[in-house]
This record gives sequence, structure tokens and C-alpha cells, in this order.
Amino acid sequence: MLDLDPGDELGLVADTARKLADDHLGPAVRIAEAARQPAADVFAAYTEIGLAGLELPESAGGAGQGALARVLVNEELAAVDVGSALALDPLGLALYPVVEMGGESAAAELAVGCAELGARAVGVLVGADAQMDEGMDLQGDVASGSVPWLPADRVDSLVLLAGESMLWIDRGIDLAPVRGMGLRAAGASEASFRDAPLRERFVDAAGAARARARGRLYVASLLLGVMRAACDFSRDYAQERQAFGRPIAHHQALAFLITDMQMALDGARLLVHEAAWRIDRRLEASAAAASAYAQCIDAARSIGPNAVQILGGHGFVADYPVEKHMREARSLSLLWGGFDAAIDEAGRALCRHPSPLALGLETGERA
Amino acid sequence: MDFAIDDATRKRLDVAREWGRKVVRPVGIEADVEGRPIPVGHPFFERCIERGEGRTRWGGPGSPPATGGSVIATLLLAEELAYWDRGVMIATPGPGLPEQSVLGIGTEEQKERFLGPFLDPDRPRWACFAMTEPSAGSDAAAIRTLARKDGDHWVLNGAKCFIGGASRADWILVQASVDPTKGRAAQRAFFVERGVEGLGPFKIEKKMGLKAYESTSFSLQDVRVPAANLLGGEERYERKAGFKAAMQTFNAGRPIIAANAVGMARAVLDESIRFAREHDLLGQDRVRDRVEVMARKTRMARLMCLRAGWLADQHRANIVEASMSKAVAAQVCQEAATLGTELLGLGGGRGDHLIEKLYRDAKAMDIVEGTGQIQRMIIARQLVGLPR
Ligand SMILES: Cc1cc2nc3c(=O)[nH]c(=O)nc-3n(C[C@H](O)[C@H](O)[C@H](O)COP(=O)(O)OP(=O)(O)OC[C@H]3O[C@@H](n4cnc5c(N)ncnc54)[C@H](O)[C@@H]3O)c2cc1C
Repeated sequence: MLDLDPGDELGLVADTARKLADDHLGPAVRIAEAARQPAADVFAAYTEIGLAGLELPESAGGAGQGALARVLVNEELAAVDVGSALALDPLGLALYPVVEMGGESAAAELAVGCAELGARAVGVLVGADAQMDEGMDLQGDVASGSVPWLPADRVDSLVLLAGESMLWIDRGIDLAPVRGMGLRAAGASEASFRDAPLRERFVDAAGAARARARGRLYVASLLLGVMRAACDFSRDYAQERQAFGRPIAHHQALAFLITDMQMALDGARLLVHEAAWRIDRRLEASAAAASAYAQCIDAARSIGPNAVQILGGHGFVADYPVEKHMREARSLSLLWGGFDAAIDEAGRALCRHPSPLALGLETGERA
Repeated sequence: MDFAIDDATRKRLDVAREWGRKVVRPVGIEADVEGRPIPVGHPFFERCIERGEGRTRWGGPGSPPATGGSVIATLLLAEELAYWDRGVMIATPGPGLPEQSVLGIGTEEQKERFLGPFLDPDRPRWACFAMTEPSAGSDAAAIRTLARKDGDHWVLNGAKCFIGGASRADWILVQASVDPTKGRAAQRAFFVERGVEGLGPFKIEKKMGLKAYESTSFSLQDVRVPAANLLGGEERYERKAGFKAAMQTFNAGRPIIAANAVGMARAVLDESIRFAREHDLLGQDRVRDRVEVMARKTRMARLMCLRAGWLADQHRANIVEASMSKAVAAQVCQEAATLGTELLGLGGGRGDHLIEKLYRDAKAMDIVEGTGQIQRMIIARQLVGLPR
């Protein structure tokens, strides 16, 4: 049976992440944004509580947690500052292709290369982004190409997932800082590499599919956090702010808008959790993860601007966080392949089954 | 319905297009990158004055009432300029938003004093209209800025926010109340001149978009203005026409905001097609779908906007149509920008593409001059008798 109760252990992981976010990220959001990275003591606290190796296998020195732990942690951190959440995670999206296609030993190597505080491995999904894909040359022992935007100012390892192949580069990457639409605490750069030697190349279709799925949940759960923050802030505001003799939340137009936003968030979260549960059981999860990611993007398309709308003019200025939520939800929605690639993959996976949502399938069929 | 335009308007559109391409858009991008309003001493403003912008429609002492030309023409120009940059359009010197109120109900003496300097301005000059307060925006009847009569002066106390161009304006038309418990009937508008004691400090807001023009908060502390600065003069308010003066300004504005939003949506459309062509994406169904949605809705919004303008040109009621055009166009513009950023892929996250800027600019269109919710209330009052 599908079980979405995180249980005591995962509940504790989520609580720990929430506490870190409240104690360390929250008070320093603007400072981290100005510095384009969180402060050193935030990195230290993050590492100390074990979040740096959350999904890294135990054999590689990590906590060996699964996808559900990841999505719970990501939502908590992103609800406070998603830029910091990205910056703090040394392995990020890069872990998935490496561990799913190269195995635990490769993952251990990736972690060793990113052991220094502030080091970053960055993962990119290739093949779904016209601008990036144009100049990519991934044949042979060297790789050339550029990535128009990465939410990072430092890249120790760049992991490119292209179809069934994964390429790992850790030398010869040039970064040029860009402004970024949001996620400023993570930094923002254009990356380019010319004839960069490959650290590793792995080819494995099934592993690549699992990596894509886990990456999509990573981004989707960050979106959940941002959407939650936007929903919570705008809802609280609407209960305080008065217009026409009552709280604006009590005008039905806004009451229903707030309700719709909450429904969109809750529904998307269920999809994310179900997909994470499938991944943790090693069930087929391509369609579920891609759908969860697409649904999060779809929800964010409206939640971001609507949270600003609820604050009216106040939403449009930086004194309140909702304009940041709106920008960041949009930026996040572009990471790891974007909406179209996800619905393509979900669509293809779903059409392989005559009745893809038939009850009882979830425990029977394995990846 | 006939949206035909005459040759003169066509010429003005051509001129606006050239000016927009060469000057307005680059200046708008510069302000966005720098993250601040175009500074007062910027050469852009001098160029505006040189080409005859920043002038009043008022004809001078003893002139017949200004007609303002056809609304359709005004809307098309508003679309064209916002296509190039809506922030810069608003930053452009001139008597701006309050001009209509002054023309409509100002005394001859007030027109001369306050619009006179805009007849042939020697330097860039601005004026602005201050209604919104920290605690009251949509509910304009609830503003608290207090106006108290003291001999032959009025004394103003209160706070205003998001006021376009306030710190650089020669004068601010400040909406205030002689008795905040009495709502609209007790409201008056006052000319508050630059530099008068008790006005300020000015805080320029850090906005998500439309950075080219300043939106400014300020307070009024025992600001004394002569009785002659009461818009329309004392008598007029004895006839209880106070609030209407303000609402007239908003009424004239809605289709213009809609036209701005149409222009911005069209900019997203064109930039999307350009990006898709440059990156060889036009063969993809998903890309063409997005382009089609943008174009279809932008075209619809434009027609709604022009219909509202045409009705106004015929001196026919356009309350529903004006609000519809504003509510629809603002959302179309936001949707187009959302779809546009998706076409850009990772390039959309860099923060340096025009579509990304338009995504941030667009949001204001559903907030200014009556939010989308307020427009729906106005429409619903007409359609289903929604009680006030
Ligand atoms: C870029 C920019 C420029 C501006 N320039 C000017 C200017 O030059 N001069 C000026 O005076 N003002 C200006 N404003 C202010 C603008 O007019 C107000 O922001 C707007 O009227 C909304 O008011 P508010 O921000 O106080 O929001 P609120 O009135 O607090 O509204 C908050 C939310 O509640 C909703 N709401 C309110 N009442 C109802 C209801 N009855 N039913 C359903 N929903 C409701 C609103 O739609 C909104 O979503 C500007 C604002 C911006 C963003």
C-alpha cells in the first residue's frame, strides 16, 4: 500500500531541516543574497547535522537516506531560502547520475571532490534546452559546450546527463557570473568548457531514467517549499490587511484564490511524495516523478504571481518576500530540463501501459 | 466599430516606433540592469524635451477645453511605447496622471500655475498624483491623510506610497480627507509643491520590475498649502464633487493600462519568435503552441482594449468594457511572459533576457489603476448587480 506517512525517523529529519532553516537561513537571507552565498557558519551547521550527505550511500560516508527524506528536507529549506538550499548542498542534482549510473564508488569520489565547505557539484540535464544543446559536443574523451545559466558561482564538478549517457567534468570549466532572475544566494553563472577532459563517462539507460526522476523530485520539492512560503505569507497577510471594512481574505474573490492556491500546493505535494515513495521502493517512477515535477511547475505558474497579487502594490516591492518567491519559482521551473521534457517523458512512459493508473499496480511492478 | 486611424496618427506611431527602438528600450534595459530609476540628470530626459515631449495638452490661458484627440490613437501610442518599455514611458517628463483632473476641474488660475510651466518646458518637469497610502490602496475611500483648514491655508498630515515620480515632481496632487470617517464625500485634492516644509523624506521603493520610473513613499507632516491649492477651488467641494475628481483620473486610465499590457505581451511574443528562430525551435509543436497562445490572447486583449476606446470616442458608456480590457490584458501579459521564459530554457534564469525583464514588469499591470479583483467588482456590479 502507498504509505505517505513519513514516520518518526523522517519526521525528525524534516524537523531538523526546519530548525536549521529557521535558525540559520531565515535571519540571513538578504546577507546571503548580497554575498551570493550563505555564510560560513551556515555551511558548518548544515554539514554538522548531516544534511550534506543526506542521500549519499552509507558506504560513501553519507546518511543513505532516500528520495522521501530529500523532498522533505528540500521543502523545509526552500520555504525559507531556496537559493541557500541550493548553495548548501554540495552534491545537488549531480549526485543522481553519478550514483545511479556509476554506483556507490563513483558517488564516494564525487563526495570526496566536494568535501571542502562551499564546494559544489552541479548537475545539468542536456537535450531539452535549445540554447544549451546547440553548442554541446560530448563525443570522445573531451567535452565542449556551455550552459547559459547555473545557480552557482563555484563548480567543482559538472555532471551532464544526456540521454543514456552521463559525463562528469571536473577540470577546464570557466564560469562567468550573471545576474540571475532569482536564487541569488546560490550564485549565478554561465559555464563554458572547451575540450574539457572527462573525469568519467557512464552509459546506462535505466540508471539515467532513475537519475532524471530523482532530479525532477529534487527540483519539484524545492518548488514546493517556495510555493508554501508564498501561500503562507500571502494568506497571513490577507488575514491582517483590511480593505472595504474587513480583512481582504474575507472578500470571496481572494478567499477562493487563497483556497485554490492551497489546493494546488497540496495536490502537487502529494504527487511529489508518492513519486518519492515509489523511488524509495525502487518501483517504476519515471512517469510519476515527471508528472510531479510538471504539476509543481504548473502550480507555481499561478501561485507565484498570485501571491504578489494578494499583496497588491506591496507585493511588487522587495520589502516583502513574495516578489522573490515569484521570481524564484519561475527560475526553479527552468532547472533540470523544464516543463516540456517532463511531460514528454511522462507521456511516453504512461502510454506503455494500457491502464497506467489502474489500482493495485503500485506494489506489483518493479523498476 | 471602426478602429481606423488617420495619417497623422500613423505618422506618430512610426515616430514612436523609431524612438522606442533607438532610445526607449535601451534606456529601460539600462535602468533594469542598474536597478534604479532613470536619474533626474540623465540625458534621456533632455532628449525628451528636445523632441517636444513633456508638454501639457492645455492650450494656454483662455484656450478652449483640450480635447485630447481620439482615444483609439492614444491607446495605440500607449501600446507602441509600452512595447519598447513601459517603465520608461511612465518616467517620461510631463504633467502625467493628474493632468486630466486639472484640465477637468482645475480653476483657470490653477491651470495657469500648475500646467503653465509645462506649456513649453525649459527643462524636464514632472507632476504626479498621490492617492495610495500604506494602509489603503484599492479601498480609496479609506485614505487617512488629513486635511485641516487653518485660516487661508490647509494643513496636510499623512503618508503616501508607490507614488510615481514623487521625489522629482514639481508638484504632487495629493488626495486627502477633511474627515476620514466620511469616506469619499470628504475627500479633496491639493497641489503640494516641491520643497514645501514637512513634505518627505522620500523613499524610492525597490521594485521587482518597471524600474525605470520611481515609485516613492513619503509623508506629509503639517504641510501647509494655500487655500488656492485646493483642486477646483472651495466652491466645487461645497457641491460634493470631491471623490469623483479622483475617480475620473482612474476611469480615463484603464484602457491605457490595458494597451500598455498589450504592448508588453506583444514584446514577449516578438522576442519569443526571435529566440525560437535563432535557436531553430520554430519546427517544434510545443514552441509553436506557445507562440500561438501568446498571439491569440494578445490579439483578443487588444481588441477588447480598442473596443473600450472606441466607445469612449463615441461618448458611450464603457465602464464594463474598460474594466474588462484592463483585467484581461494584465493577465494575458503575465501569461505570455510566463510562457516566454519557458521557451528560453536555462537562458531564462540568467536574468539578462528581455523576456525575463518583461516577466517581472508584467506583474504590476494587474495591480496599478485598480487591481484585477477591483475591475471584476466593477464589472460584476454592472453584470449581476453585485452590491457595494
Ligand atoms: C508600480 C506601481 C505604481 C503605482 N503608482 C501609483 C501612483 O502613481 N499613484 C498612486 O496613488 N498609487 C500608485 N500605485 C498604487 C496602486 O494604485 C495600488 O497598489 C493599488 O491600488 C492596490 O492597492 P494596495 O497596493 O494597497 O493593495 P490592497 O488594496 O491592499 O489590495 C490587496 C489585495 O486585496 C485585493 N482586494 C482588495 N479589496 C478587495 C475586494 N473588495 N474584493 C476582492 N479583493 C480585494 C486586491 O485586489 C489585492 O489583491 C502604484 C502601484 C504600483 C505597483
